[in-house]
Amino acid sequence: MTTIKLYANLRNLAGSKELLSITGKSLRDVLIELEKQFPALAGVILENGVLRQHNVISINGHHATDLNTPVIEDDMIAIFPPIAGGWS
Amino acid sequence: MAGWNGKILTIDLTNQTHEICPLDMEIARQFIGGRGLGVRLLWDLVGPDVEPLSPENALIFTTGPITGSGSQTSNRFNVSSKSPLTGTILHANSGGWWGMQFKRTGYDALIVRGKAKAPVIIEITAQGVEIKDADQLWGTGVFETTQALGQDRNNRNVLCIGPAGENLVRIASIMNDKERALARGGPGAVMGSKMLKAIVVEGDQKNKPADQDLFKFMLYETGKLLKASPLTSQALPEFGTAVVMNVINEIGALPTRNFQQSQFDQAEKISGEEITDTILVKNQACWACPISCTRITKTKSDKQGEGPEYESAWAFGAQCGIDDLDTITEANFLCNDMGLDTISMGNTIGCAMELTEKGLMEAELDFGQADKLLDLIHDTAHRRGIGAEMAEGSYRMAEKFGAPELSMSVKKLEMPAYDPRGMQGQGLVFATGNRGACHEEGNMLGPEVLALPRLIDRFATQGKAGIVSVHQDSAAVIDSLIYCKFANLAVAEEFFARALSAVTGEHFTADDLMMVGERIWTLERLFNIREGFTKADDTLPDRMLSEPVPDGPSEGCTVKLAPMLEEYYAFRGWDENGVPRSEKLKELSLEFAIEAEDD
Repeated sequence: MTTIKLYANLRNLAGSKELLSITGKSLRDVLIELEKQFPALAGVILENGVLRQHNVISINGHHATDLNTPVIEDDMIAIFPPIAGGWS
Repeated sequence: MAGWNGKILTIDLTNQTHEICPLDMEIARQFIGGRGLGVRLLWDLVGPDVEPLSPENALIFTTGPITGSGSQTSNRFNVSSKSPLTGTILHANSGGWWGMQFKRTGYDALIVRGKAKAPVIIEITAQGVEIKDADQLWGTGVFETTQALGQDRNNRNVLCIGPAGENLVRIASIMNDKERALARGGPGAVMGSKMLKAIVVEGDQKNKPADQDLFKFMLYETGKLLKASPLTSQALPEFGTAVVMNVINEIGALPTRNFQQSQFDQAEKISGEEITDTILVKNQACWACPISCTRITKTKSDKQGEGPEYESAWAFGAQCGIDDLDTITEANFLCNDMGLDTISMGNTIGCAMELTEKGLMEAELDFGQADKLLDLIHDTAHRRGIGAEMAEGSYRMAEKFGAPELSMSVKKLEMPAYDPRGMQGQGLVFATGNRGACHEEGNMLGPEVLALPRLIDRFATQGKAGIVSVHQDSAAVIDSLIYCKFANLAVAEEFFARALSAVTGEHFTADDLMMVGERIWTLERLFNIREGFTKADDTLPDRMLSEPVPDGPSEGCTVKLAPMLEEYYAFRGWDENGVPRSEKLKELSLEFAIEAEDD
């Protein structure tokens, strides 16, 4: 199981700020499964099968933009909706 | 011409006199207003022979043609001077209401020079300009002063210093509308050196746009775009600026314990999400702003105020190894009341903690010790005990204790909340900053972390120089119109150009504005060169250049500054020593600066 951390309003949509465990072999698999488990996230992270603009995903602290990126059991995936602050 | 009032008010506090001069409209077209107008006026008024805290230094408050027009975020104003902290150009801008109200008094700029014999306030109203005795206010905090002088949201607005500015603390801010700050580089100390406690404004003149139809159209379009952007309509109002805490920590770029690490294991506890969940009372907006990113918060001990913003939550949080959000928030409130720059204050405390940790400074002060924060801030504002050292800023303090390399600063300005070892472009921004390490003169957080407008490799160095230059020039334009940079998350330079055209009735293009931005940036650079700054000052703390990040996603990284700097100078049309070439100055219509060099 891969661990998922959601941030900002994604937590509100998922109704949880706890770490989530999701099974999948690629980033795409994980995100599709996440949407299945939390229907309120449908269309928020992925849109027509591609990552929505300005969403930021990191795997173990490194940006991931390719949905085919393989994931393994110990990976930590962090998902951020479009955010800004400091001065972006 | 519409947009500008066409008048500059100059006040000489030594002789208690004032005069009104016309604004040179050619200068206005070339430098717009705000930060641009500030540096242009400062260039003529303050040379290298002027000490920052002497009566000869000028404190220049400027608005832009957009200020007070009612265009979204048109509330901002700027202050320019020579910095007592860095010796470089000082510019800082702030939101709230004061800038709009000052514009209503009928001036574009206020130049304050000289030094009063005893504390004074300046009052500028429709009835005229008065310099009044302020003996009874000297020594009082910003909150009490603001109330005593009759702050009245949209009608009468107060700008003042607190005890820190009075005591010439080099990291003192000027505060307006109680809790908004002109913070970086010590403008509060310059104001204190003039014995000027406050400036109260109450105006009745409106900034009426020349092209009403275009202006209304721009209002509508800008409103639509601000509403459509999830950044300005959702993330900032709901979570405030500290919403970026977790992502910066996640990728390993959150400076921790005086930049010894780049991840803070308690970052979640000081994040925008946590602020919203635990201490947020409501969000609030500056004048004419639909974004409303300001946090009104209340701590467990029932103290209520504005903040913390991202930088402040970091400065008293991760930088000091502290995860107690209530104390961090109260530290923010106290800095506002004392008139202190939260970034420099928190950064300096973190530096003192490391000096103590390494046995170089004798103090009972450890990373993570939240209970010391408030006393340290009080002591700094009043120059008491260890606070007397902190009042000099982190560089002078660390130098005194034999370890200037432990000051995380550039040109003596404390670095803000980004570890450039995990964001190479941000390293170039800090190293080349005209006012020192600054995230407001250009910021690579967008492209290197947040995918705004799109993601680029944060560890790469090649090609960063061009992106950094464009960001710096763009920031100089926004700071001169003046808009809030958050508006730029939803609308681009084309919109700013059209808004400026609507307000002034003159045609401006985005290319015109970017040229203005480059002109401002270059003149600031020339100001610093005239002060004796060289390529050697375009650098970073040794830790950033030679101590690899110990662990986390940025593990092993240092900033590869030299190749970026070389590329940067070439991109800017400067020579290998970072001096703008004369052909570049001619291209930017900065011939007067060449003449000054020849003299």
